[in-house]
Amino acid sequence: MTMIPTRLTQAVKGAGCAAKLAPGDLDRALCGLDLPVDENLIVGLERADDAGVYRISDELALVQTIDFFPPMVDDPYWFGQIAAANALSDIYAMGGTPKTAMNVVAFPAKTMDISILRQIIEGGLVTMREAGVVLVGGHTVEDSELKYGLSVTGFIHPGGILTKRSLCPGDRLILTKPLGTGIVCTAIKGGLASEEVAGRVTRIMATLNRDAAAVMSHYPVNACTDITGFGFLGHLAEMVVDSGSGVRIDAAAVPVHPEALEWAAMGLIPGGAYNNRMFRGRFVTFAEAVPQRLQDVLFDPQTSGGLLIAVAAEAAEQLLQALIGRDITAAMVGEVIADPRDMIVVE
Amino acid sequence: MADQLDCRGQACPEPVLQVKGVLERHNPDSLTVLVDNQAAVENVTRFLEYRHFQVVCQRVGADFMVAGTRVGDASAPVSQPLPEPLGLARRKIQIVVTTDRMGHGDDSLGAGLLINFLKTLKEMGPELWCLVFVNGGVRLTVEGSPALPILQDLAGDGVRILVCGTCLNHFKLLDKKQVGETTNMLDIVSGMQLADSVITV
Repeated sequence: MTMIPTRLTQAVKGAGCAAKLAPGDLDRALCGLDLPVDENLIVGLERADDAGVYRISDELALVQTIDFFPPMVDDPYWFGQIAAANALSDIYAMGGTPKTAMNVVAFPAKTMDISILRQIIEGGLVTMREAGVVLVGGHTVEDSELKYGLSVTGFIHPGGILTKRSLCPGDRLILTKPLGTGIVCTAIKGGLASEEVAGRVTRIMATLNRDAAAVMSHYPVNACTDITGFGFLGHLAEMVVDSGSGVRIDAAAVPVHPEALEWAAMGLIPGGAYNNRMFRGRFVTFAEAVPQRLQDVLFDPQTSGGLLIAVAAEAAEQLLQALIGRDITAAMVGEVIADPRDMIVVE
Repeated sequence: MADQLDCRGQACPEPVLQVKGVLERHNPDSLTVLVDNQAAVENVTRFLEYRHFQVVCQRVGADFMVAGTRVGDASAPVSQPLPEPLGLARRKIQIVVTTDRMGHGDDSLGAGLLINFLKTLKEMGPELWCLVFVNGGVRLTVEGSPALPILQDLAGDGVRILVCGTCLNHFKLLDKKQVGETTNMLDIVSGMQLADSVITV
């Protein structure tokens, strides 16, 4: 007799991107690997960017990425949509267009009815259809904990690649989705989130970054990344460290799910937030006035978060208005500064 | 009599939910919560402070005991400074011990000085994060070493003790190590990067 959990979050230990391997552990696993060399590899593992990029011709390059994780919401259909949106996001963050995808699945077939997997994949297909992506296959393994996501391939012009690394002092920083999904999902897991809040945050997580990427392609964007498991400050640190520039963040301007602040104060914070803080905390200084709860949200691991865009100062306001005009919750959250170098100052 | 909760082995956010349940059912003036990971310490602490409790935390072997006492006035400011803060904001000090004596000039004086130094490290309190032993220093971690009880005591307090495997091997002491984890240069270098201060002896 199979047991069918009515709530997917009750069947797993870690929720969504908060289940990511601790960055310190990951570092130890990858540090110093002897990687194959190829002159057509434009963005590879050493650069730790959102996706890998490989040149096919002067006009065309391949972009490749993968993302999968345990459920962060209770409904399988929404889980599928969110996981797919999260996986496609890395391609958009590089300035590319996703084209083909494969399912990556771990499924507890002995304790969960296979109809749940069907619903998850159907949810994934909703997102893929919206993005114009074709599902070409997948791989499923039996596992004690459910996980779902996609391996994605896309295309990009070699001249249009947006990496995390080319910050210029003076650039303004724009963020396109509110922070706090890790905390909200922890509250969902704990049965403390209302249907209304869970629904609102779920829909935002399931939203593709495609429109935001399409808007930014018309503006002088210097660097871009998407905000996921390492949290806002973790991913920002990837842009800042060894960049030669620093960043100043206006904490009050950062868009946040309002319930996340209250729940952070209550200690409904996923362990991943503390891992993120431990790994990157030394690159961040907080002004006294920034409350603990907001600091926690800034390190909160995000599932399917928004794009963090570094745009040339003179075009920043226009890009912001263009994003808002497309119904994207965008906000100007900071700027790139010359000093202190390789540091994030949050005020 | 304080309510006592054992939340070891519980996945997030269960410890906070358990504490919330106890506060709602019993409304105690004080309680203690046993947890087995740092994230749970942080979360339970935040929740208790949010509910106007003053919080203290102590290590109990490999686990943590979080003790909350209700602050008199419910309208009192929520953020009380923790008398024994166990937060991640604390400084991390790493000490690298490169041989089994301290300083040059007289070896037996040096040996005694180093033992005394290791004994006095307890004064750093919870800021002492990690001890690394390399080269001749590894001799201090093997059976028969006069430093052994001191190091075992520090390990019991939660101080990380890293002992270089290459060095143990070189001195043919690999199976004689009695305290700490055998480690490699990557862990040692990573520790240096994470630490706020690195002191080499």
